[in-house]
Amino acid sequence: MPGEHVFEERGADLAGCAALRSQVACAVLGLVIEKPSHGYEIGQRFETRFGAFLSAGRSSIYAALGSLMDAGLIEKMAGRSTTGARRGAKAGAPYRATAAGARAYRAWLAERVRTDPQRVEMLGRMTLAGVHSVEAAVDFIGRYEQECVREAQELARPQRSDGVVSFGIAGVVERLLIEERRRMIDAQLAWISYARAELRAAESNHGAENEPR
Amino acid sequence: MTLLSIEHATKRYRRGRLEHIAIKDVSLEMEVGELVAVWGARRSGRSTLLRVAAGIERPEEGTISFEGRDLARWRNSVLGSRIGYCQTSFASGGRGLVVEHIAAGLLAQRASPTDAMRRAQEMLVRVGAERCGQLECHELDGAEVAHVAIASALVTSPALLVIDEPTNGVDLLERDPLLTLLRSIANEGTAVLMSTGEAQGLSGVDRALSIDNGELRGDVKPRDAQVLPLRRVSWRGDVAEPGARRQ
Repeated sequence: MPGEHVFEERGADLAGCAALRSQVACAVLGLVIEKPSHGYEIGQRFETRFGAFLSAGRSSIYAALGSLMDAGLIEKMAGRSTTGARRGAKAGAPYRATAAGARAYRAWLAERVRTDPQRVEMLGRMTLAGVHSVEAAVDFIGRYEQECVREAQELARPQRSDGVVSFGIAGVVERLLIEERRRMIDAQLAWISYARAELRAAESNHGAENEPR
Repeated sequence: MTLLSIEHATKRYRRGRLEHIAIKDVSLEMEVGELVAVWGARRSGRSTLLRVAAGIERPEEGTISFEGRDLARWRNSVLGSRIGYCQTSFASGGRGLVVEHIAAGLLAQRASPTDAMRRAQEMLVRVGAERCGQLECHELDGAEVAHVAIASALVTSPALLVIDEPTNGVDLLERDPLLTLLRSIANEGTAVLMSTGEAQGLSGVDRALSIDNGELRGDVKPRDAQVLPLRRVSWRGDVAEPGARRQ
């Protein structure tokens, strides 16, 4: 499972890792990060945002919320009574993401985008759910870059004896497969460079617009 | 043991009225025998980082120590001896025999001409370019230039080899053998710091970093690096090889 080593690597607990094994839970976490909400509202937003890609009934949404709570990735907000007196967290309070939840989500997302290109459209929507600013987008891009670099590092170099290319078909096929992976990573890294340039341009344009005239 | 330590280095260039920050607050540590690759796009700061690491350029801010000593004070005595800086454009347009060019580094250190020529020839054998010794520099192809450049940087037995884009100008099929050579050099105890603009240059290195807009990312200290098994790719699926990082 791709997300697994992200958790192990960053020292997060395995409960969080298990919680993000479910795509529904990941999507729910993204929605909670975007906006603290009650379970019912999360269900409605889930249908609007992900209905075309993921099907999940109300019970699945609540199960996902439960597993995310157990893993410490989300929590219930402490409410206020109508008289203004503080009340503790209670059953009807809205859910919000914890700091650990936000970190876990970004880490999972960065790795998922790399390893699961078939779901780019859904991930794009989820990215929008978790990324609210240029700074957050740059952070996401940086994590994505690290995942790409790590994959390239892990790929074994094609075996050649004494620097001489082996012409055995198995060796040739292995080299072709490795080279295909590398070129995919090169394309991803090129996209990352482009995305950074776009984000910097967006940031400087935004800054110029806000300058006093 | 920490061989090279860069701490909070910043390097700026001035172009007319504009100031360009090539590297920003960069820190990096390397140990003896490590192979570290820095991936970056053009104008990312990757070449400046390598020149600063080799002591060719001095940063405006930050410190660099090599073998425990301040490189700023010591660089004249270590660059070209304990630190080998390798440019793959090595003498490609020059005249003279390749073996003489390689021996020149030793002659500068007052080695006898006989000794220098013998060791230069040995170094060509080490990098697999023995056939190039009696060629003129301008006769070399891209891969040969790279191998000869590495031999030239290694002839003084440096503790650190710094090489900027080793596969630049090298034919596709020649690149992996060249990178395997760098791996073997590191395995023998000479630390290698290289830059690359391609994923190919990252395969099997001890640490893979990235640089963009002068900012270095990744495990900048050896103790931060997680050793992951290499993965072989085949039509039967990926296979991890535990403990096979060094190839």
